[in-house]
Amino acid sequence: MSTTRTRRKNGQQTVAPHERLEKSDLIEIYRRLWFARLFDEALYDAKKKGRLRRGNVYGSRGQEAIMVGTTYPLRPDDFVSPIHRDMPVFVFRGMTVEQVMCQVWGKAEAPTRGKDSWSHMGDMNLGIVHSTSMLGSTIAVACGVLWAQRLDGRRDRVLVAYTGEGATATGPFHEGLNFAAVHKLPLIVVVENNQYAYSTPVELEVPTKTVAERALGYGIPGYSIDGNDFNAVYDTMCEALAHARAGNGPVIVECVTYRIQGHADHDETRARNYRPVAEIEMWEKRDPLTRYRQYLLSTGQFEEAELPEPPADIKERIERAIAYAISSPDPEPHTALEDIYDESAGVSL
Amino acid sequence: MREVTFLEAIRAALWEEMERDPNVFLIGEDIGRMGGAFGVTEGFYERFGPDRVVDAPISETAIIATCVGAAAAGKRGVAEMQFIDFISYGFDQVVNVAGTYLYRSGGKTPIPIVVRGPSGGYVGGSLYHSQQFEAWFFHTPGVKVVQPAFPDDAYGLMKAAIRDNNPVVFYEHKFLYRRIKGHIPDAHEDYIVKLGSARIRRYGEDITVITYGAMVHFALEAAQHLEKEGISLEVIDLRTIKPLDMNTILESVRKTSKVLIVYEAPKTGGVGAEISARITEQAFEWLDAPIMRVAAKDAFVPFAEPLEKFVLPSVEDIVFTARELAAY
Repeated sequence: MSTTRTRRKNGQQTVAPHERLEKSDLIEIYRRLWFARLFDEALYDAKKKGRLRRGNVYGSRGQEAIMVGTTYPLRPDDFVSPIHRDMPVFVFRGMTVEQVMCQVWGKAEAPTRGKDSWSHMGDMNLGIVHSTSMLGSTIAVACGVLWAQRLDGRRDRVLVAYTGEGATATGPFHEGLNFAAVHKLPLIVVVENNQYAYSTPVELEVPTKTVAERALGYGIPGYSIDGNDFNAVYDTMCEALAHARAGNGPVIVECVTYRIQGHADHDETRARNYRPVAEIEMWEKRDPLTRYRQYLLSTGQFEEAELPEPPADIKERIERAIAYAISSPDPEPHTALEDIYDESAGVSL
Repeated sequence: MREVTFLEAIRAALWEEMERDPNVFLIGEDIGRMGGAFGVTEGFYERFGPDRVVDAPISETAIIATCVGAAAAGKRGVAEMQFIDFISYGFDQVVNVAGTYLYRSGGKTPIPIVVRGPSGGYVGGSLYHSQQFEAWFFHTPGVKVVQPAFPDDAYGLMKAAIRDNNPVVFYEHKFLYRRIKGHIPDAHEDYIVKLGSARIRRYGEDITVITYGAMVHFALEAAQHLEKEGISLEVIDLRTIKPLDMNTILESVRKTSKVLIVYEAPKTGGVGAEISARITEQAFEWLDAPIMRVAAKDAFVPFAEPLEKFVLPSVEDIVFTARELAAY
């Protein structure tokens, strides 16, 4: 059995990733998939054991191939705007694990200085655009980041904006994509279609068979792919990036996956009531990590022992960052009133 | 000095800021090839081109969001709402996205944007072309709110708003656009009016009138009228509603001991309510009478002339209430 995925473009067969990527890349991808898995497990565990006492943990189990596959082909100067099930993307794009954990624990040295929680952070120096809880809003904000690049003559910098299938029902998603398409901005909207927006199933959010069909309304390409297949995600992103970089405008990449966990850690019980358990169990069998490992073995380049499950050092790396965050100082109460206004321009009394 | 209309003063400020700083760009509906519904940006497209004078689709959210995203990446976008009423479409962008951005970026990512557009009534604009929603943004942390009444202030405040590092909602009263003329400094003087500074437009002894926008002109007219009756009004033009210049307000209150607040928006929950509360908290012992308000009735701004006149405040309303206060 081979999970090697080939794609047809203009009748030509493209080569599988393992024929284009170095063996070291394949290993790095494998490690990143495991990083994402262990990151999720560590935070669920911390919440369960009371080491993390505030905020929700938004699970990403089963969505790892999307995070890794959409970021691996990016250039260092590209932009991303990750959402709540993409926490490892912050690390893949240059934040330290310590910074991310300080954010989760609401610490003074977190990117938001403890002001906001979880994924609502960014760093424009790293090309990470801050998102909000209103997921669709960021699609429109992305247009502005790209407009700034246009003004600077940098039309080939791509922005990958993540969103959920539910957020494609919002107005800003439409206004943002419409604007991007009219002005041919290099925006790639990755729709993590995990089939549930909290408890609402995709068919109550989207009237078409796929989310990607929304692209028809903007006259842009829309892909609907297996989001649990790393190679499918990676290959599609390579195509989408080439399209956007060449000045052809935005692309929708719908990654079909499944939210194995609840909406957040508080939702684990109810999430097994508002969804059929058999459905959850079916998707657990489509695990992206298992599939990628099988793919690597099928290439003939790897021995079983080269692909430990999980790689030994990653859990320890995450634990070290958690310990760092727990022991790092809380923000001083008075700092709650800082950073509301920036008066450095000196034009206000 | 140049003599210009209120509208021309705004145009001059936008033009000169575009010339001064290549990071400044304009975006809105019909602002490019057409030059804007009211003609504020006439000639800009030809001078600055389509990337800096952006004709956007009818998408207030995307228009404001484009300014926000560009600001995060170092630019200074000025969004035109064809009528400021339509900012309701972009409310989330102003309040939840722009307003919070600096805060949630740990102070690292300021959002210098201006959302500007024609506001206010008295022109038969009816429900969606007449409103004064400044209280929404007055209530929002992280956002500044400006409403000038005279060309020189419109000119200096617009320049300050563009140079400010925060989101600014800039109300341009359409009743003033072509009715009010005045002198503005020449371009080379680089004149700005600092945000957060009120200006006393008429000095008086008996009653402090605190107001902004078109109501400043109404208050000045009322003051002229009342002068003949021996009632002396001091008229404070706030110019910036947020931040609020409490020093100028309190200084005047301590002189007159009577306060009349005039605003064009619906009375309940308006800016005047907050000003009244602050005066009560900070200068209660100086007051000789209850703080009074003249504002719109708690209704929408209707179309038919008798209806609009009934809802919106008038010079007569100010005169009547000031007489009551003077006699208290």
